[in-house]
Amino acid sequence: MTKKEKKKKILMIEDNIFLRKLYRDKLTREGFTFIEATNGIEGINKSITEKPDLIILDLILPRKNGFDVLDDLRKDSRTKDIPVVVLSNLGQEMDVKEALSRGAQEYLVKTETRLEEVIKKIKKWLPK
Amino acid sequence: MTARLYKKARVSDTISIVAHQLKNPISVLYGYLEVLASEDLGKLNKKQKEYLLDALKNVEAMSNIVKDLLDVSKIEEGRYKIKPQVVDLGKICKEIIKNLSSWARASNCEIVFSAPAKLPNVYVDPSKIRYVIENLISNAVMYKSSGPAKVEVKLKKRKDKVLFMCKDNGIGISNKDVDKIFSKFFRSEEAVMLNPAGTGLGLYISKAIIRLNGGEIWFEKNKNKGMTFYFTLPIA
Repeated sequence: MTKKEKKKKILMIEDNIFLRKLYRDKLTREGFTFIEATNGIEGINKSITEKPDLIILDLILPRKNGFDVLDDLRKDSRTKDIPVVVLSNLGQEMDVKEALSRGAQEYLVKTETRLEEVIKKIKKWLPK
Repeated sequence: MTARLYKKARVSDTISIVAHQLKNPISVLYGYLEVLASEDLGKLNKKQKEYLLDALKNVEAMSNIVKDLLDVSKIEEGRYKIKPQVVDLGKICKEIIKNLSSWARASNCEIVFSAPAKLPNVYVDPSKIRYVIENLISNAVMYKSSGPAKVEVKLKKRKDKVLFMCKDNGIGISNKDVDKIFSKFFRSEEAVMLNPAGTGLGLYISKAIIRLNGGEIWFEKNKNKGMTFYFTLPIA
């Protein structure tokens, strides 16, 4: 990324402090602006105020779960087009189908996806 | 995770709740170790790298145990679903053997594969069957006797089924344990000695997978040494 290029902004909605730190450090090293939210409500609010280029979304979240966050994001004209990569511990086919049908672009299972693969998927879905 | 969210996640019994609780710490550990091992944060010396790679292997093992526990829980609750499709079993066997071969060679073990040129396809869930084949072949390598060893993997057509065979010349099983081999959490004393980290879930899950895919699984003690595992799967 050149200096003149505006840094892409990524919002991570994740309640686990260590995972947020891992992705904050990694994505910052990769040249992204990293913002974070620790629960579903905060995630929706930051999606509106911060206008991220992409959202990494956990599903099991305090205050509002990730499925409902997806619904709210897709209903709101200010957030409906932001690509969402779900990064969750839920790995059943019905969870994947449900998240994709509610508007997620990608579904990744935490324990089955290596950090570098997540970064690749994020780059794939970031608007060019 | 709250009880309401566990319900939402269709997670109900204690084993699967605990397994789910372990997933986040495992992801964190793996991620941190992965970053350190990639040397993104600075160069490592040989010993540091070796320790980190060992740690990664162990976290991966922990992740597989959690996955197995969740599968056991799904099997017992009747929630374990398969997605059958037309599958070339020979291709799967070759891929698995290729992946395992360097580890096997390092363990002084040769894996030999044979199948007829025109073997019919089977109608099964490929990812689940892959688990079974990997489990049987890696067990055969892992529980080998001291010295050079050989594992023979064969496929054959048998009436309306395809028969899989995995023959080893390893430590085998004592007569008192023969009836327990497919039991949940069962591990023979000999197996524990060779691989203390095993869980005794692989064969239990494998049996459930083969049955769900319309086949049968069994084993025989070899005349000389070791044992042979068999399973059948329906032709597509």
